[in-house]
Amino acid sequence: MKTNASKTLKATAAAVAMAVSAMAAHAAAAPSELKIGTLYASSGPFAVASQGQYEGLKFWAAAINKSGGAFVKAYHKKIPVKIVAYDDQSSTSTATTLYNQLISQDKVDVLVADFGSVLTSVAVPLAAEHHMLLIDPTGSGANFFTKKTDYLADVSIPSSTVWPVPLANYLLQQKIKRVAIIYGANDFDASQAGTLKDVLGKGGVTPVYYHGVPTTESNYTVLLHTIAATKPDAVLEFGYAPNDIAFLRSLAQSGLHFNMTFSIFPGQLIDLMTKNVGAKGLAYTYTYPTPPLVKYAKVSYGMNTADFVKAFNAAEHKQPNFLDSAGYNTGLIVQHMLDTAPKFTQLDFHQALMDISGKTTTLLGPFKINENGAQLGQPFPVAQIVPEGSGTKFVVVYPQDKATGKAVYPAPKQ
Amino acid sequence: MELLEYAIVGGILYGVFFSLVGIGLNLIFGVMRIINLAHGQFIVLGGYVAWLVSRHFGFNPLWSIPLSVAGAIVVGWPLYAAVVPRLQRSDDPEMLSFILFFGIGQMIEALTGMAFGADQRSLPSEALGSGNIGVLGQQFPDSWWIAAAVSVSCILALYGYFSHTRLGYATRAIMADRDEALATGISVDRVSAIAFVAGLALAGIAGMFVPYLLGSVSPDLGGELTTTSFAIVIIGSLGNPLGTVIGGLVFGLGTMLMQTYYSSWSNVVPYALLLIIVLIRPSGLLGKEARHA
Repeated sequence: MKTNASKTLKATAAAVAMAVSAMAAHAAAAPSELKIGTLYASSGPFAVASQGQYEGLKFWAAAINKSGGAFVKAYHKKIPVKIVAYDDQSSTSTATTLYNQLISQDKVDVLVADFGSVLTSVAVPLAAEHHMLLIDPTGSGANFFTKKTDYLADVSIPSSTVWPVPLANYLLQQKIKRVAIIYGANDFDASQAGTLKDVLGKGGVTPVYYHGVPTTESNYTVLLHTIAATKPDAVLEFGYAPNDIAFLRSLAQSGLHFNMTFSIFPGQLIDLMTKNVGAKGLAYTYTYPTPPLVKYAKVSYGMNTADFVKAFNAAEHKQPNFLDSAGYNTGLIVQHMLDTAPKFTQLDFHQALMDISGKTTTLLGPFKINENGAQLGQPFPVAQIVPEGSGTKFVVVYPQDKATGKAVYPAPKQ
Repeated sequence: MELLEYAIVGGILYGVFFSLVGIGLNLIFGVMRIINLAHGQFIVLGGYVAWLVSRHFGFNPLWSIPLSVAGAIVVGWPLYAAVVPRLQRSDDPEMLSFILFFGIGQMIEALTGMAFGADQRSLPSEALGSGNIGVLGQQFPDSWWIAAAVSVSCILALYGYFSHTRLGYATRAIMADRDEALATGISVDRVSAIAFVAGLALAGIAGMFVPYLLGSVSPDLGGELTTTSFAIVIIGSLGNPLGTVIGGLVFGLGTMLMQTYYSSWSNVVPYALLLIIVLIRPSGLLGKEARHA
């Protein structure tokens, strides 16, 4: 009996000693700061969007550091966040070098891609090669998400294969048969155009015009005339902000008129678009309205959209746009990933994202990724920009449960 | 058929404008044998001058044309004095100018980025007329016609300068043979300085129309404009400013025809044309003989 008690005592002591030493080792292994590596573009065609995303991420980091840092479940403690960021100047070749530097030299704990599919495209293979999870805020090109991966998660924007589905359904519902689609020849725009064409095709609509243009396209006058020759009712242009500006300005100057015109970035960067195209040029254009234009009041993690707008405005003295919100949301998802992952490894980070997927709603809406890393939540409705006084306002026209008004169709001649 | 006609008229208008975009680069090379790789950035500066004139001071952006000329004198003359004579005393002015003006271009791009931000800036559409003008039944925005008219005026003025003024004769003499021009007593330095300033002024004037023909102006646009200008110059003839007109027209027509019939390849046009011309006629369409520089 005595021998047994002595054995139990020894075993307990050994277990306690092991636990204490393990905890000590754990505590020792905890980094003094969490390095979050990312890129931004201070110049080039993606600068405006990229800087917005970066500002949103910095805003999150500042907020979380005020509260002592992000809680890391693997270490059971809060750790301050440090953002390591470099300027890729909107160049994919520069971005490749800098992503490499973040992984190999800076040895960041979390890797966050720059804005958009073009600048994310070079990070996807690099991250996989180095077995790092790439947190992808706004790179939504369908080509990224073709197979199962542990090293990619699209966190703040729906996959390009999801974006145009409500738009396609709206066109089918409105029985608009003659559709022209012009798109930039890049992952982001081409995959949206492809999805739209497929969904329309299933509904019995074949586009009367379906052509790509270079991503750098800046003159649409002759293209618009070629489109007009096909007599479309709806002209849908998929491009980045500089393309959308050039397209809408060319349309305004051309004297041409279509019953429906769609482009992407008025719904994301309304100030930039209004400054360049004017309220008159934007009137009756359709777009995807994005948060904070669309608000999510009930969230399960972080601030809701309205509270975020207030907090961002108070801190930065300006109204946030979608990219600011996407950057902030990226930080929020990283934060949730860290407070969920049981171990501080890239694979555990990925598993944590899969675990919170489908159970988390943030200021951008429901967070839901699939095993390929594609974002299937955070859907964008369809809205029309209508004149209001000397400015404009957004009227959500589809889907029905989110609609705030009816579309003016056909669009009146200005 | 109507699409073809539209593409041809559009290509001519677009091409005439791009002749103006490229002609300053070729003038500077023709006279000084230096490659101004900051050419596109000077065009962008012209765009920002027009933006300031229009958006900031509320004037018609056409007022930026005299301001761009004045700016070219204020910036160009000291820049010439500081850089060009030194370059020309070097063993390889072409290569050195390539490097030096690349640096100047990067500096201008960084400074415009700091001054105006990275976002796109455009000019009011109605400032150059909000209607359309039709020729042969093909309607194009007023701004296209005004851009083409100003471009033709600048090219004719340059032609007049070359063929009807003493300075123009001297400029042509320097373009033909710099050493002989020096030997005949021509003030090569003074004539070159005027050509340098004229090259920058032409770039600045072209910049005013960039927001109308290319949607908007932004600091990063300069590199692409330099590359396109360079292709146009080579297609026409390097060192022959008037060859740039042919280069611009070939570029404009090629781009618009590709946009009409095979749009996704339209940006390949200038470089495909460049490749073909270099292979078939290395001196360019209006070149007299191959250069051995």
